Amino acid sequence: MKMLKFKKGLAGTLIHIWLIISVIICLVPILWMLSAAFSDVPHIGRVPIIPNITELSLTNFEEIFTYRSRSGQMFPDYIRSFLVTLAVATISTTLVVIFSSLVGFAVTRFRFRAKKPALLLMMGLQMFPGFMGMIALFIIFRVFGWLNNPFFLALIYVAGAIPFNTFIVRGFMRNVPKSLDEAAAIDGATNLQILVKIIVPLAAPIMGFIAVNAFMGPWMDYILPSILMPNNETVAMWLFRMNAPDTQPHEPMWFMAGALFVTVPIMIVQIYMQKYVTYGLTAGAEKG
Amino acid sequence: MEFFERLKKWIGKQSRRFVFFLRNKAVGFVRGIFRFFRAIVLGVRNFFISIYKAAKEHPKSFRKGLMSFFLMGLGQFRNKQWYKGGIFLGIFLVFLIVEFVTSDYIYAPAELSQYPADDQLYFFRDYGGIITRGIWGFFSLGALSMGDAYRGITIVGEDARYSWMLADNSRTLMGEGIIIAVLMVVLIGLWIANIRDAYKTDLRIRAGEKVESAKEWVRSIWDRNFAYIITLPGAILVLFFILMPFLFSFLVAFTSYDAAITLRMDLIAWETETFTDVLFGGEPAWRSFFFDVLRWTVFYAILSSVTVYILGFIQALIINSKYVKFKKVWRLILILPWAVPGMVSLLVFSNIFGGTHGLMNNILADFGIVDNVREFLRTIGLIGSPREEGNIQWFTHPDNANLARAIVLTVNLWMGFPYFMLLITGVLGTIPQELYEAADIDGGSAPQKFRFITFPWVLRATAPVIITTFTFNFNNFGAIYFLTGGGPRYHTADVPNALRGIEPGQTDILISWIYTMAFESGDHDAYNLAAVYSILVFIMIAVVSLYYLSKLKSFWEEDD
Repeated sequence: MKMLKFKKGLAGTLIHIWLIISVIICLVPILWMLSAAFSDVPHIGRVPIIPNITELSLTNFEEIFTYRSRSGQMFPDYIRSFLVTLAVATISTTLVVIFSSLVGFAVTRFRFRAKKPALLLMMGLQMFPGFMGMIALFIIFRVFGWLNNPFFLALIYVAGAIPFNTFIVRGFMRNVPKSLDEAAAIDGATNLQILVKIIVPLAAPIMGFIAVNAFMGPWMDYILPSILMPNNETVAMWLFRMNAPDTQPHEPMWFMAGALFVTVPIMIVQIYMQKYVTYGLTAGAEKG
Repeated sequence: MEFFERLKKWIGKQSRRFVFFLRNKAVGFVRGIFRFFRAIVLGVRNFFISIYKAAKEHPKSFRKGLMSFFLMGLGQFRNKQWYKGGIFLGIFLVFLIVEFVTSDYIYAPAELSQYPADDQLYFFRDYGGIITRGIWGFFSLGALSMGDAYRGITIVGEDARYSWMLADNSRTLMGEGIIIAVLMVVLIGLWIANIRDAYKTDLRIRAGEKVESAKEWVRSIWDRNFAYIITLPGAILVLFFILMPFLFSFLVAFTSYDAAITLRMDLIAWETETFTDVLFGGEPAWRSFFFDVLRWTVFYAILSSVTVYILGFIQALIINSKYVKFKKVWRLILILPWAVPGMVSLLVFSNIFGGTHGLMNNILADFGIVDNVREFLRTIGLIGSPREEGNIQWFTHPDNANLARAIVLTVNLWMGFPYFMLLITGVLGTIPQELYEAADIDGGSAPQKFRFITFPWVLRATAPVIITTFTFNFNNFGAIYFLTGGGPRYHTADVPNALRGIEPGQTDILISWIYTMAFESGDHDAYNLAAVYSILVFIMIAVVSLYYLSKLKSFWEEDD
């Protein structure tokens, strides 16, 4: 009996040692980022891992919130990139929710001839390395004068989100009993009324999930804006630029501060969204 | 040990299935292509037969169709459906007006007499509207570049008196050509619909049926095509921003477009050489480097998926175990790496390892263990450079490729395991307790319970995710580009001339190599080669995903 208790105690201890080690490994890079953001050490490699509470400094934040690469700019670079990204994210979220629910509704509630080929096509399109279309997008944008315009960048995100979201919405709406809309149809509701009054309210959770994803996407996307928004920087471009050794200013410390500023809200949302983690992977896979 | 035996067996079984699937699909694929072409030929034949029949059996109705054939809407007017005819005619006129407004036809006679063409005249190039010029440009990709003599003048790059004196920009012509091609498909579709409509309506009139009114027509279109109509805005966006660029880059693979081409100075040409050279001949380096990078990409994709899965599984089990108190707190801390956006973590890690004075090197130096660590890394084969003093070059020394790759995998593990931890924690909650109770009654030990209950259950529930993780990692551009930037480079001596300037780094996976090849190689940018490679990547990913899809029954279920 004593032996068993000892064994159990040992197992508990080992497990806790393992957990503590993993927690440390998980936290060190994040702590270091915090530490660097609030430090004024001149070289980033010299920033201590554990934030030095006595020497906290807001220099980096002051710098990024005031630095203008061209004088006469209304907003500092960082604020500007933040606002641009906010615009892109807001527009794309609105449109993604509208279009995805329309397409999802059509795909789940109607039989039409082009459905299967369309679904297959969407699956296929998801597999192609997206930025290879970049040269073409660049030409289209230049021909129509859309370069540096947040609205049209948002349109690309919308187009890119539709194939994936179609599957998610489809998976969800299938489980909304069809008898509901049939009953409404008997009462004389039109298709549009069924969509707006019955399907959309029932699909609210999945729409929320889609909306949050659409809103978070543009903040950390680098490739697309780097080619389509050459003079209208987004946050991701700013972050990358601060790290790139061959452009001026090369300020990894500013990067840390700027990254922290957008990362904290994103982290909070992510942690809140963890219960939806299974949605993303069931695109088409539900019901096994 | 038995566990590994089983795992080995399972993997063996899966890979045999995959090969079998491939073989099956290869046969099916060829058959599919054959069927596709047969269907086209048959479709065209049936189409003409039906036209022939219509002309023979209902010559009068056929004449109405013929009217709409020559002028959209004319047949409808004869059917006394003014509204319908008006709409069709309106669409046709819009196309005509757009063509005319964007053209210079009215200036053509005067300018042609002033600058007569001696031998060669590109009429649509000089005066065509957006449609005719677009079609011309798509097929020819331009005819005149700077310095060419044409109609008695010299072609210039800018500041020309007339627009036709400007050099052709092949890239723009190709892009516009694709836009026009899509518009033409729409127009032709409407045109055919308009002919059919005129013919069918006339048939109905002759049969004495009532012809629908304008209101009824609009209503029937709205009801019958509701699914299409509400899909339309989304479909247009996908068509314009996803499908068209896709077509474009597919076509670039069949051109001579690389950095040697200065737009306006040189013309791009249609050619299949790059494509066939990569596959069958030409530069052997294009193939050998491709396979080197492919090998690392596959290795990376498999290992990164498997490691995050295993660690996530372990953490989920541990947090779930009865010894652990405050489960929620532990879980909350352990998912933090997942909550930080990937790009930020990768850039932070690039600051930790990058450069010779990054955080890692400084810490090692502070503890005075740089040499010990280097010796250790050399012993286990991660550092290959024979003599290296001072700080460790994590991402920069050409002989330290293994080190950089190990770090890429480790960072990926750090970022990726919490996701699987969350996922598997969720799955663990769905295992029925009765299974364990039954095992207890039979005297099953903890390892046995894991082997026969927990592991199979979790694996079954998460198998599809492993595949999606694999395909995701296969194309995980950021994991390489933001962390190592592809480095370390190859030894200069090892790079063949054919790839100079566009060679991959030693940690580059296909996708990040393609990106740098197309966009960041300055004077060496090779768009056509990049496009060829991305088609190959597309095919590989498509095969794996098709396999995965074919196993998902629910995807093919009808929605009812």
